[in-house]
Amino acid sequence: MNLFLQVDPKSFWNAPHGSTELTVKLFAAFIIGIGIAVGLTFIPAQLRKWVVRFVTFGAGLFYVLFWIFPRPISRAPTDAPRGAIEGMSFWIADSQPVIMTLTNVIAGFMIGLGIYSLLRVHFSKIAKQQRDWAFSAVLVISMLLMVTLGYADFLQRQDPANFGLADQKNWGLVNYGKDLLFDGLLQNMDAGMFSIVAFYIMSAAYRAFRARSIEATILLVTALIVMLSLMGVVEFMWSGAIDSISKDNGLIQSFKLSAISGWLKGTIQTPAIRGIDFGVGIGLLAMGLRLWLSLEKTGGEA
Amino acid sequence: MAMDQQAAPLTLAEKLQSLPKPMIYGILLVVATIPLFFSVKLPNKCIDPSIDFYAQAMKLPDGSKVIICSDWTNSTRGESKGEMEALLRILMRKNIKFVLLSIGDPQAPQVAKDTIREVTSAEELHGGKHYKEFEDYVNLGYFPSGEGTIVSINNNVRSVAQGKKDFPEGSGPKDALQSPVFEGIKSVSDFKMFFLVTASSTNRTVLERLTNCPMMYMVSGVMVPENTSYYASGQLKGLCGGVKGVYDLENLMEVGINNPGPGQITSDKYKGESIPGWPGKTNTGKGTAYYLALHFTLALLIIAVIVGNLGMYLSKRRAN
Repeated sequence: MNLFLQVDPKSFWNAPHGSTELTVKLFAAFIIGIGIAVGLTFIPAQLRKWVVRFVTFGAGLFYVLFWIFPRPISRAPTDAPRGAIEGMSFWIADSQPVIMTLTNVIAGFMIGLGIYSLLRVHFSKIAKQQRDWAFSAVLVISMLLMVTLGYADFLQRQDPANFGLADQKNWGLVNYGKDLLFDGLLQNMDAGMFSIVAFYIMSAAYRAFRARSIEATILLVTALIVMLSLMGVVEFMWSGAIDSISKDNGLIQSFKLSAISGWLKGTIQTPAIRGIDFGVGIGLLAMGLRLWLSLEKTGGEA
Repeated sequence: MAMDQQAAPLTLAEKLQSLPKPMIYGILLVVATIPLFFSVKLPNKCIDPSIDFYAQAMKLPDGSKVIICSDWTNSTRGESKGEMEALLRILMRKNIKFVLLSIGDPQAPQVAKDTIREVTSAEELHGGKHYKEFEDYVNLGYFPSGEGTIVSINNNVRSVAQGKKDFPEGSGPKDALQSPVFEGIKSVSDFKMFFLVTASSTNRTVLERLTNCPMMYMVSGVMVPENTSYYASGQLKGLCGGVKGVYDLENLMEVGINNPGPGQITSDKYKGESIPGWPGKTNTGKGTAYYLALHFTLALLIIAVIVGNLGMYLSKRRAN
């Protein structure tokens, strides 16, 4: 855990990596964190709402300040701030890596929350022997096996004495097990799952891509031109045919597939995407402000 | 009884509109698979985003340092692995050191490491340098909070590597910041390029937050339209998209840009410049292997759309 290691000079908030002091501090922080979480459940709902609003506003405020507050320019590590404004600017710049570590830790907890939720649902299904409970059992067993072997492999590789594991000749059961599960099974199943999409696209294109209206016809023709332009052989033959008619006539040259698809992308597609992006950006800004100021109610109340 | 009556035979229009799914799937399976057994050099016209990608990568000073954010997994290996391999070949041949990290998927660092191992072995076989972990590249692993991490890279790149361990060959784990890759690095602007190889929405995460380092993207085919607008605006120095992008890069690695000779690739944008390639080296990879299959599947897709529409047109004409 390197949460406060980057803060210099060393203070109460620092502890050397791997030291007992760090372990004790981490354990104490964990207990205090649990205490705060449990304590929050005992306070009135109305007050809890304000705690959540305050934390949300504080977290958002940091990044708002980070973006809009003047930043230190050409700052040397030994520089001291001159005045409150520069002091604030130094503080924001120095705090950002700590905030980054915190957000990574929180995001890590979200993965933990996901695992907890998954296990709760599937253990319950197995215990009650609900429909397709065997699939749940396969999921839980696979997950436990992957976690056990993956973590054992990770621990072995962390040990400086095991540097020989970089060579496959020195692998043991754990390393082969992890390799079989991760590279042998998971990676290939991942690829297999995604390749199924091609079949759906083909089926959907055949059944749904019809020229039923003027708009659909324009879309269809545009898509065909872009697809043809991706086919090097067709593009090559088409260009050859255009060149054989005239190499100097600009009007004729502009009927090359690459010219047409380039025009479609540059003149129609890119501006359209930019327009959509502007709209989405404004929407995101409005939504961000609503979330930051706790005006957004659709996510549920605290 | 009705059971004795024969159902009315389907008209041609009805037949064309109701091809059974297993038949469509079967044809696709055959059409997509058979070309994979043949390595055919197809004629090709490299597009500007690919040419820019190659030119900018080749203009990186030999021995310089870059960042690779690898956010792809095997679900898109048909496209992303070819992109990663082409990028690694260019960097390794120019002896460019790199920092590797992922913000998109926890599986991504391992997948990237496997690819690096494969490419460095292949390069070594042909007289290339053996790229060593920690010495020539440093792996920072996966960061769950992509937004905060990219902001930190932009603000203080060393803080991102603080406390991270990497595994040098032949020794135990060491602090990533001790790696030669971080020697002389004070800020992200000391890295000459930020490469993002992605098949997910991390393209926006990086684009919105990284301001102090030039960027180039390698994206899957479906992501090309949205990223083209960033390439057109100049925010991306180059863009490699899908199998077509990889095939372009492999061709460019073979002959370079504006070099006279067979298969010459010219670019008006780099008029007066000659950007070399590596003729005779192993430049072909997934792009060449899959480009024929892409042709066949696109052709099949076009035929499927035409057949469906023809059936609809005949039905309408019959109804009128």
